[in-house]
Amino acid sequence: MIIFPSYLSAPSALTTASVCQEILESGDVAEINAAHLRYVDPFGMAMLGACFHEARRRGCIIRVHQLPSGISGYLQRMDVFTGVELVECPTSNGTRHDRSDVLVELTQLCNHSEVGAVAYRLAKAMIGGANPDEVPDEMTGYTTFDRLVEPLQYALNELLENALTHARRGKKDACVWVASQYYPKKDLIRLGVVDDGCGFLASLQTHPKLQHKRHLEAILLALQPRVSCNRDLGLRNDSVNQGVGLTTTCRIAEHAGGRMILASGNAMHSTSGYSGEGMGVYWQGVGIAMEVTRSKLADVRVRELLPSLDDIPPVNLRFE
Amino acid sequence: MRSSVLLQAYAHGRLVGPRLTAAPIRDEVEIALAHGSEVVLDFSGVEATQSFIDGLVGALILQHGPDVLGRLVFKSCSDDVKAILQFVAADRSDQYLKTHSH
Repeated sequence: MIIFPSYLSAPSALTTASVCQEILESGDVAEINAAHLRYVDPFGMAMLGACFHEARRRGCIIRVHQLPSGISGYLQRMDVFTGVELVECPTSNGTRHDRSDVLVELTQLCNHSEVGAVAYRLAKAMIGGANPDEVPDEMTGYTTFDRLVEPLQYALNELLENALTHARRGKKDACVWVASQYYPKKDLIRLGVVDDGCGFLASLQTHPKLQHKRHLEAILLALQPRVSCNRDLGLRNDSVNQGVGLTTTCRIAEHAGGRMILASGNAMHSTSGYSGEGMGVYWQGVGIAMEVTRSKLADVRVRELLPSLDDIPPVNLRFE
Repeated sequence: MRSSVLLQAYAHGRLVGPRLTAAPIRDEVEIALAHGSEVVLDFSGVEATQSFIDGLVGALILQHGPDVLGRLVFKSCSDDVKAILQFVAADRSDQYLKTHSH
């Protein structure tokens, strides 16, 4: 019997990945005891979603036992248990209230064409009730809604598109799972983006700056500006990345009073300053958690967050 | 001769986000450039991600060289969009010149 810990969350990303690994190694049936589970954050939900999907794809029957009543309804509401049998668990009563102003259910994304729309839907939901019809500021032309939603939408576009693009380097049908929630009492927005692709190390293994083939080193390298596995490839057959999207997204999180946590392979790293590697832990793809203070999003100016170009001279552009 | 592309049509809310969105716009720009036109990229009412601008302008620079910028006009850009355009254009121009300097 696999035992769910108390927390399946970004700060315990290695524990979360370890549980998912157990599920994937279960063979025909994965029996899970969830009696101790207390909290699952959007990162945990996204990783469970990706894990359950892969397990079911392999023909595994997944059974979750004894979900506590305090969390059972919420996780079912978030669509975490699609295709999973719930045993001795309180079930939801079938009525789904519109909570689209504070949460977005676990969403699977498999096509690049969906990225823009999904990013906007999530960002709007996370702003939690700002008025999209507010009259714009006379000087700037922006509304409060614009100021709050755009940094989040920007980050989501970059994260979702990055995930789909890089995940599919190693696995053609890789998908991305995303979940998000706004916690009004803490004014906190949390979102989780997890893919079942090839991970940072596989993407960057031939990069000249990767000195040792370790997952933690690959994560740290990916966070450096202008590092990408495909900065220099041909245009028509491959997407050419500048290697700036993830860096800028991290800076958005930090400037909005938050952080990012990244996990891949056997390693995790938090932009708030801690890293870890787990023995026997392995997540094939990439998991990213982003946490921001909602009210601080309005202070984010992307132009202030772009990496420095050091000695590269500026070019003349024609603006009108 | 000038042709104009209004980017608001490609936005979700006020943001033109994904790199993939740039591909058909770039194709349209390439056709106009091939016919000898200048192309006006109209950013009225929108912001854009660095990925989108790189997918549009960065890719044009890598394909045609920095001289292509002389035939592109960027209209009604916010301060953020201007900064991203300058970043992408400088980085990709430098990359093109280094690649073609032999």
